[in-house]
Amino acid sequence: MTDPEFRSAFHGHKDVLYRYAYRMTGSEATAEDVVQDCFLALWRNPAAYHPARGALRAFLLGMARNLLLKRWRGERPYDSLEDDTPVCGPIDLELRERADAVARAIQTLPPLQREAVILAEYEEMPLEEIARATGSELAAVKSRLHRARQNLRRMLAPLLETKGTTYGT
Amino acid sequence: MEPDDDPRLHELLREWEAPNAPPSLEARVLGRRIPWWRFLIAGHIRVPVPVGLAMLAALIAMGVSLARDRGRAAAPPAAEPAHAIFNLKDFQPVQDARVRIIRRYDANQ
Repeated sequence: MTDPEFRSAFHGHKDVLYRYAYRMTGSEATAEDVVQDCFLALWRNPAAYHPARGALRAFLLGMARNLLLKRWRGERPYDSLEDDTPVCGPIDLELRERADAVARAIQTLPPLQREAVILAEYEEMPLEEIARATGSELAAVKSRLHRARQNLRRMLAPLLETKGTTYGT
Repeated sequence: MEPDDDPRLHELLREWEAPNAPPSLEARVLGRRIPWWRFLIAGHIRVPVPVGLAMLAALIAMGVSLARDRGRAAAPPAAEPAHAIFNLKDFQPVQDARVRIIRRYDANQ
């Protein structure tokens, strides 16, 4: 990979990776670290990316995902990543702005549901690309997304019912 | 749009906006790529603590061993010095010297 190619890849994908890492963790510092690690890994070993296997965006998101899950496992070694975690209950929306409530609801989701909803809703990635980026079956991605939306509807029910007003005010 | 997509939920989720990558990230990523020859001068590598300690111990052992060898080489030998002083006090000259001249032996004679 030449220097101009690398710069082009960086400028083309840094925001997607950063937003993904930020939404997954809620931390700007962690998001910066993850994006930096992704691009430095690409610079050191560009041969790891095979264009035939899919878009560079999916490859980089997959790398960011692995770094995030590694951190997540380091912080919560005994927690399960599986999707069949208990259903998320309603969150306390009192005196909380709508955007903060959405952020909190998304970060309450189990990690695999969270990444599915972030990539589908915010990055508007097709399900096939999400499956490629997360190394999952298409059916698994659909299932996670479905459960994530169910959980979000449940958690954000007060906001969905009183759309346009701030709950609790 | 997916079959179970809910426009109201989608609209609500969109209210949470995530920031784009900060400008400092560019310097962190693009500024940290250095060519291999500069890595030899300014690069750094991570070494696990046990490996680092083992390397340090090996270096100390080598240093001690070298210092001992040099110490041995520099110390004066215990044996007699090379330029010993000869004492001629007990030297006895030959009393009855018979001088005999030996000419060169010639095989043809």
